[in-house]
Amino acid sequence: MGTLLQAEGLKPGEAPETWNLTHPDKITAIHRAYYEAGTNMVAANTFGVHPQRYDLAVCEEMIRAAVACAEQARKEAKVNHELFIGLDIGPCGKLLKPLGPLDFEEAVSGFAAVIRMGAACGVDCIFLETMNDGAETRAALLAAKESCDLPVLVSNAYGADGKLMTGGTPESVVAMLEGLGADAVGVNCSLGPDALAPIVERYLAAASVPVLMKPNAGLPQEKDGKTFYNVLPDAFSAQIAALVPKGLRIMGGCCGTTPAYIAALREAVGNQVPPPIEKKRFTVIASRGTVLELGRDPVVIGERINPTGKKRLRKALEEGDMAYVLNEAIAQEERGAQVLDVNVGTPGVDEPALLTQAVQELQAVTDLPLQLDTADPAAMERALRAYNGKAMINSVNGKQEVMDAVFPLVKKYGGVLVALTLDEAGIPAAAEGRLAIAERILKEAAKYGIESRDILFDTLTMTVSAEGSAAQVTLDALRMIRERTGCGTVLGVSNVSFGLPEREVLGSAFLTMALERGLSAAIMNPLSDRMMGAMISFRTLTGRDENCGEYIRFAGELPAMQAAAPAAQPGTGLKETGAKGLRRAVVKGLCREAGNLAREALAAGQDGLDLVKNEIIPALDEVGQGFEAKRLFLPQLMMSAEAAEAAFREIKAKVAGQAEGQQPKGRVVIATVKGDIHDIGKNIVRLLLENYGFEVTDLGKDVAPEAVLEAVERLHAPVCGLSALMTTTVPAMAETVALLHEKAPWCRVMVGGAVLTEEYAREIGADGYGRDAMAAVRLVEKFMGGEA
Amino acid sequence: MLREELHQEELGEIPFDEKEILRYAMLPSFAPAPEELPLQECLRAAKGAAQCRAVWRRYPLRRDGKWLDLGFARTDTLDLRQHLEGCGEILLFACTAGAEMDRRIARAKLLSPARGLLMHAIGAQQVEGGCDRLCSRLEEQFPDRRLTDRFSPGYGDLPLILQRDVMEALDCGRILGITLTDSLLMTPSKSVTAIIGMKERETEHELQRTADKRAVLPGRRNGNPAAGGRPEAG
Repeated sequence: MGTLLQAEGLKPGEAPETWNLTHPDKITAIHRAYYEAGTNMVAANTFGVHPQRYDLAVCEEMIRAAVACAEQARKEAKVNHELFIGLDIGPCGKLLKPLGPLDFEEAVSGFAAVIRMGAACGVDCIFLETMNDGAETRAALLAAKESCDLPVLVSNAYGADGKLMTGGTPESVVAMLEGLGADAVGVNCSLGPDALAPIVERYLAAASVPVLMKPNAGLPQEKDGKTFYNVLPDAFSAQIAALVPKGLRIMGGCCGTTPAYIAALREAVGNQVPPPIEKKRFTVIASRGTVLELGRDPVVIGERINPTGKKRLRKALEEGDMAYVLNEAIAQEERGAQVLDVNVGTPGVDEPALLTQAVQELQAVTDLPLQLDTADPAAMERALRAYNGKAMINSVNGKQEVMDAVFPLVKKYGGVLVALTLDEAGIPAAAEGRLAIAERILKEAAKYGIESRDILFDTLTMTVSAEGSAAQVTLDALRMIRERTGCGTVLGVSNVSFGLPEREVLGSAFLTMALERGLSAAIMNPLSDRMMGAMISFRTLTGRDENCGEYIRFAGELPAMQAAAPAAQPGTGLKETGAKGLRRAVVKGLCREAGNLAREALAAGQDGLDLVKNEIIPALDEVGQGFEAKRLFLPQLMMSAEAAEAAFREIKAKVAGQAEGQQPKGRVVIATVKGDIHDIGKNIVRLLLENYGFEVTDLGKDVAPEAVLEAVERLHAPVCGLSALMTTTVPAMAETVALLHEKAPWCRVMVGGAVLTEEYAREIGADGYGRDAMAAVRLVEKFMGGEA
Repeated sequence: MLREELHQEELGEIPFDEKEILRYAMLPSFAPAPEELPLQECLRAAKGAAQCRAVWRRYPLRRDGKWLDLGFARTDTLDLRQHLEGCGEILLFACTAGAEMDRRIARAKLLSPARGLLMHAIGAQQVEGGCDRLCSRLEEQFPDRRLTDRFSPGYGDLPLILQRDVMEALDCGRILGITLTDSLLMTPSKSVTAIIGMKERETEHELQRTADKRAVLPGRRNGNPAAGGRPEAG
């Protein structure tokens, strides 16, 4: 469409969809030319119509006109083959959170509005195309499924690296889209047919639905001042037609193609019929860009994001301290977890909201697939909507009520389900009983069209100290279910040793036994060397670890090996011990050494508060002064701050046991203002303020004025720090300052950020301007010092 | 639909430049890096994250009274006018290090503020390195033209609001996945848009005049690095 519209006089920058209203005859003629060239479906000229760009009334007018043009063309076209009209939907122009500003549900409702309009106009199918972000594709597909009953064809735009702009791979995208019920999947735009062919082949290997392909006519090239595409109709059509025997079913042309290309394609394909689609049998879960097959090699599911029995995590969840959760995730990933279980259920929290937030924030920092773990169907649904990929769903069981609640969610959003072999009567004592429940669950799932490959059974690890044969029954049931149903299995292995000493000894042996019986995935603690050792040893001993590489790497990091390694290089200069060394370590920004020296000094009987007062603070002052005098620079300031923090951690750990230690100096609320996403500077200020003993509540970035006020009022904070990097976000800063001054007159507001100056800060009414992180600390000290 | 005047460039892997990275992390070149600065760790964590890609387009440049007609937008800003003095055409480009870089930055920030700073600096070096590579390709593509430095919306008095027109003109959302927030920030954040002026290669006479000017203003090069950062093409 676009290529021909340009030939017809569409100006650069002019939106093609406006021509539905201004030049309907030309749009109709183009559609007709394509029908007559042999196409079965034209995409109405609605690619750019979206509420992010136009008012709803304008959207509706454009869509109605676009579909009318396509219908007119269908009437006029002199052909014999079947003709269809697709509602064409492209990206909305804004990137979704967490990388961009657009909220997922807002994206869904925007697409839904357009799709309802198109469906009302009588299109035959919905064609989502050129999407280069998996999350946006997901939003559009979900919108289509929720707004109409029409078939939905989904086509994504890949880069030359075989990935979507936001990292999706053909396999992860197919897993997600099939889970959501796409009727056909495929690729279009960005590349020519030869470059897209390998991506299409990966689609064919992964998908159980029809695959489509709509390449560009190669790449645009310039010669003698004229631009042309470098793949001509003959080569274009031959390259695409070669994929038909491999299973390609739907094909067309994108940028640079014309009706001549379509006619050539028709000709080249001729009467070829693709082979029947093979239903895939493998079980996969996926995140944004990672797919994981279950049932081939055993998988580690990290269990640590679960507040049961974890006081610190519970507190973090209650306080909304997501950083703690994210750090748990990264730690598990670094130790070899392949999936992360996410359970945030603890009394007093809004579980649906918190689980959704956790899923979104986790997906911003890790690409591991997640296992959503909640007994609350409302929380499960919200989290499933937000999850970018095909999740593991933990869990369903044989209780009718639970199946009635969970299966519809799996059907709608896709996912691999963990099914517990228990029902209304409890957990059967014998393995046969658990198998019977599994079979019942499979039967019920089939009613919803949920395939057995998307179900893993958990035969329930019971505590061996309570019942001597408990482990044996679990393992027998595991083998029985694996053999009889062909389904994969999963076990939370830790429970077996509950109530016994040295739990990991028993747990790791149990894990090995379960793996030997065909366990597909273990929910376990990846931070436990013994448990990971059992898992990795199993992989090595069953020929899954080439040259024992994984085992050797793992063993090399064990504490015993580390201790046996030659001592680290001695530090430069004389190694000082105790308190004096601590001061030097902080000045030099040596984190490990600062932590170790603090610990040694405390062990030697030194008072923690004395260490802070006499060593750490003077060290920070020395560095701060150096920074102010431009002798030291930001990286040095930060490393010293981190070294100080390492020492503080040791002191806090020691003091926590005693009475209340260091008296906090006062509360500071800090935030990057609404519309701004730059938070490097703000984070540095937070670190330094904490070093200097202030209690900091960090509201994060892109924070609305009302949210800042709410925190300042709730905490009655005497000081608030605001940061903005861009000229465009300074108005939001001014608004926040004004709101605070009006509603929280006790609070002194300091501002900082690249665009600000002393004068600018005064102009917007701030009480102080922090030129840099040290200046911010000095300001807070001044404010808190009672200078009113 | 890909507009035919638009040129896409895959810029390949940009080598890490540690000195540049430290400069973006606000460490001046004369200052030693702190002993435990986790730069190597961050470089390892950043490996493969940046995929620099760009799109560019050539426009005629017209002057109409106080207005500068850039071909995709009009502006009356003085700094750009001065920057484009003597140019008859411009090249408009957008370049991005991609979304994965932003994710690695987010992750580094969680681990520690220092890693956050360094990863942010790595992202900046990568996208700037991408821009440099693009510019040298453009120099090769237009051997008979002299190209000015890059000038971005937000520099001098050139307003950021121009980003809307740039996004539209280069079809950035579609080709590179760059979109704008309401406050005109680009996502992915490690992205650059800029205008480059193109003029005919200097005649002998002009070369002489430039040389004379330099002779008159000997302090210019050292005194104001911002005025002449680019080595003279010759």
